[in-house]
Amino acid sequence: MNPAIPLIRRRPTEHAPLGGLLLAFSLALAPGLARAEAQQLAATVCAACHGPDGNSVAPTFPKLAGQFPAYLERQLADFKSGKRKSDIMTPIAASLGPEDMKGLATYFSAMKTSPGKVEDKDLAAAGEKLYTEGNPDSAVPACVSCHKEKGSGDKRYPRLAGQNQAYLIQQLMDLKSGVRTNDKMKLMQPVAGRLTEQEMKAAAEYLAGQ
Amino acid sequence: MHAVALLVAGFGALGGSAAQAQGSGVGDKDYVWNEMRGEKLQALMAKGDAARGEIAFEVCAGCHKSGAVGRPDGTYPRLAGQHASVLIKQMVDIRAGRRKNPKMLPFASQHVLSPQDIADIAVYLEGLPVPAENGRGPGTALEAGRKLYVEDCQSCHGAAGEGDGARFYPRLSGQHYAYLLREGLAIREGERGNANPKMMKIIRPYSDADLKAALDYASRLSVDGR
Repeated sequence: MNPAIPLIRRRPTEHAPLGGLLLAFSLALAPGLARAEAQQLAATVCAACHGPDGNSVAPTFPKLAGQFPAYLERQLADFKSGKRKSDIMTPIAASLGPEDMKGLATYFSAMKTSPGKVEDKDLAAAGEKLYTEGNPDSAVPACVSCHKEKGSGDKRYPRLAGQNQAYLIQQLMDLKSGVRTNDKMKLMQPVAGRLTEQEMKAAAEYLAGQ
Repeated sequence: MHAVALLVAGFGALGGSAAQAQGSGVGDKDYVWNEMRGEKLQALMAKGDAARGEIAFEVCAGCHKSGAVGRPDGTYPRLAGQHASVLIKQMVDIRAGRRKNPKMLPFASQHVLSPQDIADIAVYLEGLPVPAENGRGPGTALEAGRKLYVEDCQSCHGAAGEGDGARFYPRLSGQHYAYLLREGLAIREGERGNANPKMMKIIRPYSDADLKAALDYASRLSVDGR
């Protein structure tokens, strides 16, 4: 069941087109109000799956808290345009305008990522080795080079620290199988394509604990 | 700096056959190993920016390591201190398919790097310090290696293995032996598609032992003063 779908139907329609304009003004002129609006929008549209503070409880849904705003904004835009495919997210993103996306991205990026839970310490240790050194035998680059120390990310590459294992594994599988193709400069598809399922699990286990 | 200024001053292979395909390499009739055309010429003429290159190199460092020191086991070469012109030739040749490198190709393709990015990365790498430690050979035939190097290699790669950026001749000093050997074997066998035919001819009669000895010697050349 996806609780987000009924919620989106209940969403007030006042945002477009005049509401969108007003929201844009409020973003530009009054950050406090913009945050309140974004918070309300987040509570209405996003919270059921991603949690009110952007820390989703269901492991298949990604945590948004602490993610870089440019990344969140681009994902929403890509869901809307179809560049990133998701039966759940596409209709939701379709109802959002550019200002909504920016407001939500800013809102969630300011939240604190909740700590993830490591279930298997040995697996996490294997994941740390892969993350920091890559796998030269199969030409897997070290993740740390782009995603930075402990998965903290930067303004160019998304934060991975604390992310839910199940979500990370699913994304890597989707990048490998070609379901997800909106990776920046198509850099992650070849990387994921070289990962074994065990390596994906290990990297995810390590990152969840960061 | 403009890598091409040096090249034009020291050499002059600008142009070449107009009919030449981007991908032609060793074994093709129209192959010119040091040609400067298309996006290679664009990258050579571009003014590289080391600060931008450092940012673009972030992706490359996943394999070539921070500081571009490479891996002593030879899986990834050292790029630090290599001549910008050599790096540009290799990057462009790899993405043109002249030099086969499926591991690197997706990270150096046209949708990832522009000719300007290539120039930026090349200038950044050329300016990096070369650490004194590198992967070396067994050290069992260094005198034989020295003789071969002085006789056959030195006139192009330099007495100190410093190479010659104006002629696309790579620096060998500081490079990891295992990488030098892998590529040396590939050049001898005609498997490195963007090799210099003159070098292929010179090392064709080399036994594996000759190649190992010469490259072991080369891997031990001092990087001081670079």
